[in-house]
Amino acid sequence: MGKRSYKLREKLSNTFELPKDIVLDVSKIIIIGTGQITVENHKGIIEYSEELIRINTGSGIVALHGKNLAIKTIFQEEITITGEITNMEF
Amino acid sequence: MFIIRIWNYLRGYAIIIVKGLKIERFINLAVVNNIYIWDIEKLDYTTVKAKIGLENFGRLRDIVRKTDSSVSILNKRGFPFILRNIRRRKLFYSGLFLMCVFIYIMSSFVWMIEIVGTKDVDNESILRCLYNEGLKEGSWKGRLDRRHIENQVLIKMPELSWIGIQIKGTKAVVEVVEKSEGPPLISRTDACDIVAAKDGVITKLLVLSGDPLVKDGDSVRKGQKLVTGTILRENLEPRQIHSLAQVSARTWYEDAEEIPLQQIEFKPTGRVARQYKLKLLDKEFSRKKSVNFKDFNEYVEERHLISFGDYVFPIKLIEYRFEELVPELKTIMVDEAKERCAERLNARIKLRIPEDAVILKRDINYYTDKKSVKAKISVEVLEDIGVKQKIY
Repeated sequence: MGKRSYKLREKLSNTFELPKDIVLDVSKIIIIGTGQITVENHKGIIEYSEELIRINTGSGIVALHGKNLAIKTIFQEEITITGEITNMEF
Repeated sequence: MFIIRIWNYLRGYAIIIVKGLKIERFINLAVVNNIYIWDIEKLDYTTVKAKIGLENFGRLRDIVRKTDSSVSILNKRGFPFILRNIRRRKLFYSGLFLMCVFIYIMSSFVWMIEIVGTKDVDNESILRCLYNEGLKEGSWKGRLDRRHIENQVLIKMPELSWIGIQIKGTKAVVEVVEKSEGPPLISRTDACDIVAAKDGVITKLLVLSGDPLVKDGDSVRKGQKLVTGTILRENLEPRQIHSLAQVSARTWYEDAEEIPLQQIEFKPTGRVARQYKLKLLDKEFSRKKSVNFKDFNEYVEERHLISFGDYVFPIKLIEYRFEELVPELKTIMVDEAKERCAERLNARIKLRIPEDAVILKRDINYYTDKKSVKAKISVEVLEDIGVKQKIY
């Protein structure tokens, strides 16, 4: 997808107030407390260890730091991570 | 999420351990190939523990090959494995199932009848009456017509004024109320006399209606007419009325007691023998052990072996406990004998004196000889001795 079409769609979603995660194919991240994170629209995991999980998304790589990180569920669209999350980077 | 967990459990899943250097790739490939894996935990740098559905396990092979990892099964969980286990141990589980069915069937019978509220009527006669009407240990709860049984028992046992049968678990709780025996009530419209209920000396006669036949200070015998309801006047037809009077009279109560000074007292030696009996429905199984005590006290205790609250099952353990006693000849002091006499006499006479009577005098006389102490009690009380008697 070219930059032009991305800008067009951004305008489109702004004008019609459409949800961006659907129109723009960017990720939607839901954080519940400090114990659970759900990333929708991910593009696979890049690194996985107990302290660090890096997930590829449409809007870059999301890195989660923490302790005892585990992947609760993983689907094509959605990944849920549990554990003590201390830090999140884009 | 809970629904998904139940679904996974029903489908069956395996806990696997994946070893390899490209764990991330392994997971990504699994996801891309639509293989659902969950609860992924890193154990150490190269190993990961995860759960996978049974039907997907075979499809892992390609991914394993591509990522140079190895997969081993740690554990299998879920309903299909339980089912397989049950199939393997058919006999055990069918036995368990039969046991449940058996307990269910057993709990639809009455196995214990409890009678509550009896005072003078003995439980045995009520039980016998219930038995004749179809409520007994072992009768099926479904066919009990409680209302019918209640009515029939009330008809057959006039000494009861109310009966209620409640089924609680396997217990039938039978609540009864006995009829209290009072003097037959006489309606105020019926004519009556007043007669003496006891021998006594009249202290005060207060006639509200009727003609008195005695006066204060007269001594009367039991059954003697005190006030008549038949009014005879000159030049008038005799008429009959409902007489009313308060008859205060002094009455006497007497009783005697003798206590020998030489007494045989039985004392427990501390030796105890037990016999057990197992009662299943009506059948008894016992192991008889002979008890060779000469004198003993016997105690019986029945216990239901299986009971869950109100659900009682007909297996009883009956324990007979025998305590050996040894006779001991004992000579008691005269004072002690007197005390005991007085105690017994007072207790006995109290039962005979009506509650609303006023005690005027209480005398106990003792006669002592070498062998025993005799005592005589006489109590003088003030009470109402008037009783209505219908004129026919």
